[in-house]
Amino acid sequence: MTITNALLDAYIDDQLNEQEINRIEKALRDSPELQKRLETIIKDRDQGEHSVGAIWRREHLSCPNREELSSYGCSALDKKRMDYIKFHLEMIGCKACQANLDDLTSLNASGKEKKLSDKQKLFIKNSKIIASRKE
Amino acid sequence: MPNQEEQLLIGRIKEGNGDSWEQLITRYENRLYYYAAKRVNNQETCEDLVQETFLAFLSNIKTFNPDKKIQNYLFGIIKNKVVDFIRRKKAVTINSAPADSSGNPNDSVFIDSAQGASTWYRGEEKKTLENEALLNGLSLLINHYISKNEYNKLMAIELIFVLGLSNLETAGKLGIKNTEVASIFHWAKNFIHDYLQNSGLSSDIFPQFYEKDLLL
Repeated sequence: MTITNALLDAYIDDQLNEQEINRIEKALRDSPELQKRLETIIKDRDQGEHSVGAIWRREHLSCPNREELSSYGCSALDKKRMDYIKFHLEMIGCKACQANLDDLTSLNASGKEKKLSDKQKLFIKNSKIIASRKE
Repeated sequence: MPNQEEQLLIGRIKEGNGDSWEQLITRYENRLYYYAAKRVNNQETCEDLVQETFLAFLSNIKTFNPDKKIQNYLFGIIKNKVVDFIRRKKAVTINSAPADSSGNPNDSVFIDSAQGASTWYRGEEKKTLENEALLNGLSLLINHYISKNEYNKLMAIELIFVLGLSNLETAGKLGIKNTEVASIFHWAKNFIHDYLQNSGLSSDIFPQFYEKDLLL
């Protein structure tokens, strides 16, 4: 499969699955030309250039909302929408939607909010103090 | 667009309301945890990354754009945290391990994207107007496909734009003809082109949409 600039762009955004990441990193190790292309893309992004893919990913333009993901988990959407969400989760590999679905599944399984660890409770307590000092 | 409730929550946190801050953590921490857990196989590290994400959000809350969704912003922060963590971890592993079977040190692929603050601000300034226009155009395109139930077209465009696949690869993934993908892409490109032109944007901003046959 060709390594396009758009694919490198998705690699920078951590959009790809582990297999694709490994393939690109191997190709980068073997190809100074590809390293140069990656470097140029990063430099362009740092200087304010942007790709359509980067905007699409950053703004989550085609991500279903939580309610829809919940319905997807219960197979309660029409077939076309179900197929699309499956495509978005699996073929596009949207990690944000996968995380939301995992969260919803865990909530449904436990029937309540996840129990907080001592570490999490301490963090909430301390960060609340910081938040209260904001003004 | 964020809903009114989210905007009120952010407003209260900006005023220093600790309970609202706790509410925000409770609402988003699990989904952020699961996001980190997709790439990091250690519960404690994932929890640390989530906490760092919240602290980064809190320290920048005064400049948070209320037109943005909180979730998108938080996922953006944790994505960077996870990528940084993985790259640091790989670098440590590499420093203490011999070269791989091909003799190449594995860390040669990681390129530092750090930048000076002034460059970043210039970039942000330039990006805002262009991003908004392209964002609106893409949103209209996606909504068009959804309202027409043309999910096959949305899938093709998403594979091309988001994963950077070629027309041929997209056709292979979706089990459709290459010419069909080319036609879908051509239509989408013209849709965005017309939107940008009607928005009065200069043609040098997104050349891929002005040079109509460049990507086909």
